[in-house]
Amino acid sequence: MRNNNLDEMQLQRRNKIGNQAFMLLFYLLMIDIGLNGFGFRWLNYPANVLAIMTACMTYYLIRIIWNSSFVGPQQSSKGITRKTRYLIGATGFVGAVTAFILQKYFMEAPATNGDDNSAMILLVVSIVMLIIIAVVSIIDKWQNKKVDNN
Amino acid sequence: MGKNLKLKSSRAAKDMSQKDLAEATGVTRQTINAIENGDYNPSVNLCIAICRVLGKTLDQIFWEDDENAK
Repeated sequence: MRNNNLDEMQLQRRNKIGNQAFMLLFYLLMIDIGLNGFGFRWLNYPANVLAIMTACMTYYLIRIIWNSSFVGPQQSSKGITRKTRYLIGATGFVGAVTAFILQKYFMEAPATNGDDNSAMILLVVSIVMLIIIAVVSIIDKWQNKKVDNN
Repeated sequence: MGKNLKLKSSRAAKDMSQKDLAEATGVTRQTINAIENGDYNPSVNLCIAICRVLGKTLDQIFWEDDENAK
């Protein structure tokens, strides 16, 4: 039982939440296809699929963080080291610079014609979801600290 | 499933916190909390690990009398 992975209760809960998230994704995609069939288009393809997948992934992450099934018993006590934080930061910076250079000097035409707001909607949805996940994570940590080890 | 007060009292008798017991058995504090509150049924392996740490038998901690079983 002593390992870096999730313990038995965490695994059980994560599996349950994973099944729920998968079913949610399935039904939302079905509803989206149905709505499309009736002529209601809330977002252009493939942005609609990406938005649904992001929403389901967010649901999954929120639920597993809320149920303390995101990190295992050994990992949670260790936390992220300073070296790892620097590495993540450096990776993000290099990625952003690379994307900027590629867009500035190597992309001749924009990917969309300017009428499509999908990219902006996806960006906003992703940022909102990330903020929600961060808030849930902070609340969960705060609650865990609050619980008295009685 | 009712609260497992026997586990809680045995842990307190050993002067251990939920975190101490969790670290000794290789699970999270939330799992020990859920077992004590009756929200989670642990596996036999975890029951045995808890009993070993607390120096008790399975009967002493996990056996429920008819009165307490509700």
